[in-house]
Amino acid sequence: MAVSFPSTEYFEALRDRMAAEQEKFRRLGFIDTTFGVRVGHNGKTRNFVLEFEVFELKGVREVDAIDPQKVDFTIEGDAGVWREMIENIHRNGEADSSHDINTLAHFGEQLKVVYDSPDGHDKLYRFMESIQRFFDLSSKLDVRFN
Amino acid sequence: MAYLATRNFLEDKDFVDKWLYTMRTGELDLSWMDAKTEKIKPHEANPRRGLTYRDLDLGSYGFTGVPEKVRGNRSYAPRGAELPEGLPDAQPWVSRKSEVWAFNTESYYEEAVSRQWNVTTDIPWERLDGVEMPETIGKALSQLMTFLTEVEMIATDTPALWLPRINPEFVEVKAFIASQAMDEARHTEAFRKRALTTGWGLMKASPMNEMALKHLRDADSFSEMSVALHLVAEGNVLTLFRFSEYLSPTDVDKRIFRLVMQDEARHVGYGMQHFKYVLENFPEKREVVHAHLDEAENISFAGAAATELTESFIILAGGGLKKENIEEGIKVTTRFNLKQMEEHFERLEKCGMPERKERSKLYQMFEMGKAAAEAAGIKLS
Repeated sequence: MAVSFPSTEYFEALRDRMAAEQEKFRRLGFIDTTFGVRVGHNGKTRNFVLEFEVFELKGVREVDAIDPQKVDFTIEGDAGVWREMIENIHRNGEADSSHDINTLAHFGEQLKVVYDSPDGHDKLYRFMESIQRFFDLSSKLDVRFN
Repeated sequence: MAYLATRNFLEDKDFVDKWLYTMRTGELDLSWMDAKTEKIKPHEANPRRGLTYRDLDLGSYGFTGVPEKVRGNRSYAPRGAELPEGLPDAQPWVSRKSEVWAFNTESYYEEAVSRQWNVTTDIPWERLDGVEMPETIGKALSQLMTFLTEVEMIATDTPALWLPRINPEFVEVKAFIASQAMDEARHTEAFRKRALTTGWGLMKASPMNEMALKHLRDADSFSEMSVALHLVAEGNVLTLFRFSEYLSPTDVDKRIFRLVMQDEARHVGYGMQHFKYVLENFPEKREVVHAHLDEAENISFAGAAATELTESFIILAGGGLKKENIEEGIKVTTRFNLKQMEEHFERLEKCGMPERKERSKLYQMFEMGKAAAEAAGIKLS
């Protein structure tokens, strides 16, 4: 069944895939970070907070606004950029070299990483491979775009 | 032979007789069974995670109770053990907690252990089969890898050098520093293997780079080493790894840089937490660290501008050696250089040293570079 993006169902579907591929994520190691995802569309935004603990996504919730004090960092971007990334992952089985998170966010031109504390910001890079593989699980979902 | 035992046991009749007597009679001493130590029952706070060092933060075994100045134990006796007479003085250089401690040290170590990886098997080397790169790109990539191999070798030596100097009471710090040395050894391996798989072999060593690296190795105290290594150097290298991932010509290079950046970011995290701890608990160190930063920033500025690094970045970022490639490469590399400096000052400010900007000549360079970049029409993020 298709899940829509952006939605909590999309992240929950990734969470379920992550649990199903537990061995792979255990091999990558502990992931302890809470971060935000902000998707802009037609001047409005939808905001999600993802809380990772030990080896899994412990919780995801949609919020009106992301409190920068309560997350390590937020990845934000227009719906079109997120869509292109997810479709690229779906086509290739994983993000290709132009569509991985670090490349899209590096100079803040496509995705942007915003943060209150540099320590929180650095957590994106501390857990980069796990976060990338988490989003790469989109290749196993049927995603429709709102 | 640097160390001689205080007795020649092999020729000590009493010692040898006792050894033989025990064998012959089975008469045991057993006094160790009455060790005057605390009996506790640690349990896992989170069974998914397992039994962590934090779960052992209990009573005399815990790290919370370690005093600022450790005077009671200068041996290799584990924290919490009974200390009998006759333990040798291991002569640790660092017995002051605020010289080495960081908030969450134990968690950084647990994370390091759980996130280890293997260059030989975790990198999809087979995907390089048939990959053809233009000569200039291949050589630039190999030069970058050569440069990074030099960096990682000294990044292995430097923390390892401090291991025997740290009082064993700080077992969690020693464990973290040991894990860092392993991380850096793995990075050396990754970059060496990647340089050799470009087909161009290693390129040229960098005198400017090595001068900067030597400064890291030769710090006077652990805190000075940490601020120069974990914050200045590794902070810069973390930004450099992110940039290198961004520029990577193959998905194999992307994977390498994503994995090395994880380790590097963890070291920076420890460095930030340690520096905060120093500033809060050892305020006299502030001026010492400022003075050390003066030189660390001077040298890191020079190291980051090393020809062997800058020119390979310009070629990788611009895609070649044509005029338009070089113009584009300079724009992108300038943005990276400025981002590196900006993030350095962000970290220092967050650690509790906001005044650094006023004193730092590197900050003046950052402002000057930013103005020059804007005047040249280079868009900064």
